[in-house]
Amino acid sequence: MPTLFVPLWLTLKVALLATLIASTVGVALGWWLARRPFPGRSIVDSLLMLPMVLPPTVIGYYLIVLIGRNGIFGQYLDRWFGINLIFTWQGAVIAASVVSLPLVYKGARAAFEEVDGRFANAARTLGAGELEVFLRVSLPLAIRGIAAGVMLAFARAMGEFGATLMIAGNLPGKTQTLSIAVYEAVQAGNDNQALWLTLVISSVCIGVLVASGRLLQARH
Amino acid sequence: MKISQRLRSVALVATLWVGSAACHAQELVVSAAASLTNAFQAAGKAFEQARPGAKVTFNFAASGPLLAQIQQGAPVDVFASADQETMNRAANANLIAPATRVDFAANTLVLIVPAASTQAPKQLSDLTNPLFQRVSTGTPATVPVGRYTMEAIDKAGLTASLQSRWIYGESVRQVLNYVARGEVDAGFVYRTDALIEPEKTRIVLTIPTTTPVTYPIAQIASSKHAALAGEFMAFVRSAPGQEILQRYGFSKP
Amino acid sequence: MHTPSLDVQLQLTLRSPDRSFELDVDFTATAQRTSLIGPSGSGKSTVLQAIAGLLPSVRGRVRVGDQTLLDSSLGIHLPARERQVGVVFQDYALFPHMTVEQNLQFGLRRLGQRMTAEQARRVDALIEQFDLVSLRSGLPRNLSGGQRQRVALARALATEPRLLLLDEPLSALDSPLRKRLRRELAEMLERVNVPALLVTHDPQDVEALAQEVICIDDGRIVDCDLSPRPFAG
Repeated sequence: MPTLFVPLWLTLKVALLATLIASTVGVALGWWLARRPFPGRSIVDSLLMLPMVLPPTVIGYYLIVLIGRNGIFGQYLDRWFGINLIFTWQGAVIAASVVSLPLVYKGARAAFEEVDGRFANAARTLGAGELEVFLRVSLPLAIRGIAAGVMLAFARAMGEFGATLMIAGNLPGKTQTLSIAVYEAVQAGNDNQALWLTLVISSVCIGVLVASGRLLQARH
Repeated sequence: MKISQRLRSVALVATLWVGSAACHAQELVVSAAASLTNAFQAAGKAFEQARPGAKVTFNFAASGPLLAQIQQGAPVDVFASADQETMNRAANANLIAPATRVDFAANTLVLIVPAASTQAPKQLSDLTNPLFQRVSTGTPATVPVGRYTMEAIDKAGLTASLQSRWIYGESVRQVLNYVARGEVDAGFVYRTDALIEPEKTRIVLTIPTTTPVTYPIAQIASSKHAALAGEFMAFVRSAPGQEILQRYGFSKP
Repeated sequence: MHTPSLDVQLQLTLRSPDRSFELDVDFTATAQRTSLIGPSGSGKSTVLQAIAGLLPSVRGRVRVGDQTLLDSSLGIHLPARERQVGVVFQDYALFPHMTVEQNLQFGLRRLGQRMTAEQARRVDALIEQFDLVSLRSGLPRNLSGGQRQRVALARALATEPRLLLLDEPLSALDSPLRKRLRRELAEMLERVNVPALLVTHDPQDVEALAQEVICIDDGRIVDCDLSPRPFAG
């Protein structure tokens, strides 16, 4: 069982960081796209939802093209900063952030759209600038829906496999997250290990689903 | 529709159905080590031409995962692994028909670097140079090339100094891919794999291994196509089969 | 007492998938309490939003006394937060996640700032004036319609605006309540020393609350048939 802790700790680290990134970006974008229609809004929306629909291996491939050592951005990261994201837990964080982003964005946008625009307008007539309207009025009123989206994003980040495997590889102790560890255990015929790992992931995911379901219900 | 037309279409459907059933009786599923991908695909085509009516379906992956699949009950007829150890595990689990086991090819372990690389190790210990931050091979637990590599590294006394640099691939082809893409500074593959990517990789060292790199092939005990399996294995060991293997860089067992 | 005049000229085109609405109004209000009345869909709420600065793409001129809030020809378009215009919204739009007291404080306290003692005193004074003492820690959802109206008015006045706008404040209420609240609102407005523009579709609101009336229909100012009720003083 000790070999459970390393992938568990790594998975939590990656998932928490990825959720943080996805939440910040997702809430900001959800708010921006909920405000008022602008030309190209539906295209931006589709792009943001894409990682939820694309197969993880396709996402992995796109990420390789972007941040691989010879990738579009990766080559400059390597040449100028000596940074190489492939085979690192930071790369795993990027992969997990990309797949979780749509979950936060969708939840946030829906939550913001549900908030009556009159509250924002009232705040504006009372002297609030846009940032203040967001922080003091829109965000607190949308927080439940956002929180539900964030929890789902966390569960997704915990379970991310395909893109992570392609970007971060399978390096025990460095990038071998729980789901990759399950894969490895099955491949090596190590059923006991696989079973324990599966139970851990399943409990966490069930817990997250229950909690986020309660959050969404409590609003009504 | 006229009656004669209707009868004809029924007959056509029936023939196709019976025909496909018959074809099914001539289908072979072969699980083979990843390094055999190109050679076996060519061999499969040649076998199908030499033996009309036969159809070979290949399943390529690292030997370890292939064995795991067979253990889980995958309907495989023939298993070809990249080392004796995996086949030994199969034999110990009573998964193969022991009498059919035979070696059919041999390979060499080589060290490759990305083609654009300017650093060429002249000996194994050169890998301890800080320029080689990332060195790739197969996951030793499940991929034979990883085991051959670790054996050679152990023998050269480099285990400790290289420990933090390993990037494990799920199969030898993934290791090849990592080197071809430049994601790692060097990688251990078989010579036959290096020949697949001559533009993107460069062989810099040939590594002698304590355990010779030999490939055994065997019929899976539960196979329902024992006869056809035997024919395929015989083909692989025959002159035309061996010629194909050697064309891809394999040597005689 | 000199009441600053409200000078409004607005042109705006609102486009939706099924129709296109043109607003072209020009009026001046000089009374302390003026009403803008028109049927539903006439554009009266749009005029109010434009005066408050909540519509980005409106052209024209809006002046309160000698303060210019909007002047397209000069490129002046003050955002809502700088216009010092208090608004009482339909349904009151009280912040549901804040107490009555916090709602009143909102306009006085900016993000990250603390209220000054003087501002705190002002809030206390408003709570007294509008009879909200026992309600100050309550949440809007626990208030009655009349109580919410008082909070909404107090909140709009907290920032000492130069103009007060009321957007159909009684239309969401049912008839018996509306009569009572109309009276209460009339009393409160009489004690308020800020010029007010009340937007409504109900002639009874005009009778009770306004000294001057302007009529609007289909996006344009039209002649009124109503005569304003005379007020003393």
